[in-house]
Amino acid sequence: MSETKDKAKIKEAVKRVKRETYTPVKPDTQLGFVHNNVDCIGCRACEIACKDKNGLMPGPRFRRVQYIEGGTYPNVYAYKVNMSCNHCAEPACLPTCPTGAIFKRKADGIVDIDSTLCIGCRRCEAACPFGAPQFDPADNIVKKCNMCVDEIEAGRKPYCVMACMMRVLDIGQIDSIWDGELETVAVGPNDEIVRQVKNMANIELTKPSIGFVPHSKGKVK
Amino acid sequence: MSTKKTNDDLLERLNLSRRSFLKTTAAGGAAVVAGGLVELKTAKEANAFAYEPYPKDDELETVVTSCAHNCGSRHMLVAHKWKDVIVRLSTDDGRYQRDGHFGKDSLEEPQLRACLRGRSYRQRIYSAERLLYPMIRVGERGEGKFKRISWDEALNFVSKKMIHLKDTYGPTALLDQSYAGASYGVLHKSDQIEGLLGRFLGMFGSRTNSWSVPSYQATTFSSRMTFGTIEDGNEDDAFAHSKLMIMWGWNPAYTFHGGNTFMYMRMAKQRGCKFVLIDPQYTDSASAYDAWWIPIRPNTDAAMMAGMAHHIFTNNLQDQAFIDKFVQGMDAGTMPDWAEGKENFNDYILGTYDGEPKTPEWAENICGVAAKDIRKLASMYAETKPAALKASWAPGRNAYGEQYNRMAAALQAMTGNIGILGGCAEGVGKAWHAEAVAYPYDQYANIWFQSIKSDRWAHCVLNYPNVKREEIGLWQRQDETDGQIPNIKGIFWQGSDWLNQLTNINKDLEAIKKLELVVCMDSTITPSGLYADILLPIATHFERHDTALPWYKGHYYIHRPKVIEPMGESKTDLQVFTELAYRIGGDVFGKAYNPKASRDYFHVNDNVDEAYLREWWETKVIPHQHVDMSWDEFKQRGVYKFNLDQPHVAFRDQIENGTSFQTASGKIEIFSGQLAQITDWKKTMYGYEIPSIPKWIEPWESLNSPKIKKHPFHLISPHPRWRTHSIFNNCSWLRETYEQEITVNASDARRLGLKTGDIVEVWNDRGKCVVPVYVTERCMPGVAVLHEGAWIDLDENGVDRAGNPDMLTLDEPSPAGAFAYNTVLCDIKKTDLEHRPGWDKLATSRAHVFRRDL
Ligand code: SF4
Ligand code: SF4
Ligand code: SF4
Repeated sequence: MSETKDKAKIKEAVKRVKRETYTPVKPDTQLGFVHNNVDCIGCRACEIACKDKNGLMPGPRFRRVQYIEGGTYPNVYAYKVNMSCNHCAEPACLPTCPTGAIFKRKADGIVDIDSTLCIGCRRCEAACPFGAPQFDPADNIVKKCNMCVDEIEAGRKPYCVMACMMRVLDIGQIDSIWDGELETVAVGPNDEIVRQVKNMANIELTKPSIGFVPHSKGKVK
Repeated sequence: MSTKKTNDDLLERLNLSRRSFLKTTAAGGAAVVAGGLVELKTAKEANAFAYEPYPKDDELETVVTSCAHNCGSRHMLVAHKWKDVIVRLSTDDGRYQRDGHFGKDSLEEPQLRACLRGRSYRQRIYSAERLLYPMIRVGERGEGKFKRISWDEALNFVSKKMIHLKDTYGPTALLDQSYAGASYGVLHKSDQIEGLLGRFLGMFGSRTNSWSVPSYQATTFSSRMTFGTIEDGNEDDAFAHSKLMIMWGWNPAYTFHGGNTFMYMRMAKQRGCKFVLIDPQYTDSASAYDAWWIPIRPNTDAAMMAGMAHHIFTNNLQDQAFIDKFVQGMDAGTMPDWAEGKENFNDYILGTYDGEPKTPEWAENICGVAAKDIRKLASMYAETKPAALKASWAPGRNAYGEQYNRMAAALQAMTGNIGILGGCAEGVGKAWHAEAVAYPYDQYANIWFQSIKSDRWAHCVLNYPNVKREEIGLWQRQDETDGQIPNIKGIFWQGSDWLNQLTNINKDLEAIKKLELVVCMDSTITPSGLYADILLPIATHFERHDTALPWYKGHYYIHRPKVIEPMGESKTDLQVFTELAYRIGGDVFGKAYNPKASRDYFHVNDNVDEAYLREWWETKVIPHQHVDMSWDEFKQRGVYKFNLDQPHVAFRDQIENGTSFQTASGKIEIFSGQLAQITDWKKTMYGYEIPSIPKWIEPWESLNSPKIKKHPFHLISPHPRWRTHSIFNNCSWLRETYEQEITVNASDARRLGLKTGDIVEVWNDRGKCVVPVYVTERCMPGVAVLHEGAWIDLDENGVDRAGNPDMLTLDEPSPAGAFAYNTVLCDIKKTDLEHRPGWDKLATSRAHVFRRDL
């Protein structure tokens, strides 16, 4: 961040990465997000809460609510797909990092960037199929959602989740999200959960830890 | 884009197929063995940016407060501060209320989660546009040239001018244009009628009041006439109980409108409630609630409703028992004796007098909604119980907007959906009654010497003294000054940006030149402020002590302590008025204006403010509302949530227990006795006749008028989601969520050769603005949508580069006082003129909305 980088430390890190293999970390448990594409009103309170939490200037956006619309007047439809970082099982960002700044936490599967090692080369930004890593010109490094680990460690939930006025965004153990076991009001009594919707990259690329309540037009067959 | 295509593109871009990606990993694995390297554990789990340099919440001081702007809601904000700086804001998470814990979010006491605007407050407090020192104009008015002066100089200037104007031009010289902009609280109240400014100018003895409310005067009028009160609203949790909800021009996904309305509506949906949206736009509310969208020509709502009433009457679907018991003037049987032979609502609908039955076909012709859909909706509404027809404010901001609201009330009454859980009589929507007054309140609270329709001030100033009372909607007075045209020579803005927000800005700009004093009190510079003679920096609600009350739905109080010290030299508005009072009228005026304060209040206000608030809590809130929490406990927790034993429903008592409605007849007056007895309309504040039963009246501009030959688009200007009127327009975070743009239908765009992002000029005979266009199928053809509140930014020809629709609106209010913001025709074309999204190019250059068309 703003502190001056330790060049020697970074050189050391680069050397280490070159020697090292990349085996995706198998976390003890994997946390992930769930978002209801239909009931979301697209207010972006989650986005603003995130920017405030992380002190971001205009430009970088860790959380991005996409507005999808289609049809022909007057038979139209609209829905939202809301994504930040998906803390993937096989993160595409991680092995591209020349300094090894990106790491996946063993305890909860959160993918985070060690800002003291990030040199702002933006390779992860290009590698991530979901547009999660965000270059911050103010600090000349890449930043992204870290699921508000500090809040999670304090026994609370991320800022975006706690901001959602409609209560349609939540986090949980990802398997329980996918199999519908997670107790959350983000998912309604008659809602199904899917892992892939239209308007996002193929999940086989990185196996993102996210579930959606899809809109009928957003379902993938 | 298909998933397959996305995928292929990606693989190409990354030059990495799924297979080779896996191979890399595998090959790496092999290298380990071959090279004999030791696998290193490098995933060091520290130093990620969230830890440093940003302090964690628990390392900061937590202070509960709320948002404070004039949006229709009020939510909790929690400041996390380090010394005197707010590091970040969070919101209610269930911890702060009594018996609270993290995550508590019950149906009775839901969390009061702030919206995107509330969450951006830090950008407002710490903005570059913040006013920190008193400033005086040095250039021409409107040129935007000011110099810093001391408070002493500023207040001397204002007080001298005030005295001069009053002595020279009399008690109507100063126009009160305060509004609920950014100052709404129980103590520091900026408001149109009984705010701090009104009391100050009234006591001073020179005040022309502005009586019509820009947002919802049509429905205020309608509810007063129909129900005898504006408290026609249900609490937000009542919305969970409807089986059918008709959102008439209502977009809570944008406006939020009260506590947790939007969330309870989701609950209704989960319980099987069907939603209908009548609106020229397929809004986010339509999509989130999966509504049946009925696009309608703007301004024609009353006609469609009349068509529905016709279907209900002719098929005998009305709730006759309800009508007979509670309603006046719905039909011949419910007319008062004294009005026998006068036209009742049923007569009007069937065309008994005018020979024009208001059939669904008749309505289709006017509103563009197929007669079969009108019939279908009418049947649904009459046959589903309970059903909520929520008649929102926007369709009332029209020529004859009051007829739309009165017509809606007729439908609500004829289907018997008033006073029952899951029904709706809104309207205004004001629900649970809060104790709202901690500021000094006495016989001086609302003294005025003339009172005019708010958007007629420019007309009055420009034409004085050749103005007829009906042209400016002069309110009656009981003394010899009745009917005297006010001689306005000065304006005060307190918590308002009315130059940017009232209709027909070009006319306002003409009029402002004629004034001798323009005072702007605000925490930020605003477009209005640029036209002021003097700018007084006002502390935001983070910088003074107060309590928040719900704007119009929700039942709670939120404590608002002084979170940080006032920035720069800013003072509270109560400090400013008190000091002015002392300077103008010595101890007599000073003490009378602010009884608890002493002469040094301008410098030390904490104890006095605390005393007012404590008194309010202890003598009003506790005894009147059966609150068992002490003021000190309230201050310590920061929030008090009322736990109502059943959802508050307006008029429940009237329907269940037979108590009278607050009208003269004690009934729901579809035939208004009050209106029927007016003989000289010119002598009323309305100025022009208003029918005593709801009727469809042709507006002066619409898609049905011959004027469309010249100006083919109907322009509407709804409330945006990313600003509250003009507040927050300068916040870059919010700018990333939207663009100021004009929405048109794809077929219109094709005809004009436009695509999303093209810059267009939008104009009519009154003015012109420049904005990008947004092309969509979600908007009715012939309709253009441009959200209100963009900060005007005029070029040398008076063209607004920011895209403010009020460059085009007409300052001709409806008889009942409704602003005709949505009665506007215009034309649109591609242009080379410059569009400037904001005053600060850097802050607005990254505006980028994530939006995909399929
Ligand atoms: S979403 Fe992108 S940045 Fe996040 S873990 Fe997956 S690949 Fe990495
Ligand atoms: S978890 Fe935190 S960092 Fe990630 S999107 Fe939500 S608020 Fe932003
Ligand atoms: S806060 Fe909730 S409702 Fe609003 S955009 Fe985010 S997920 Fe959607």
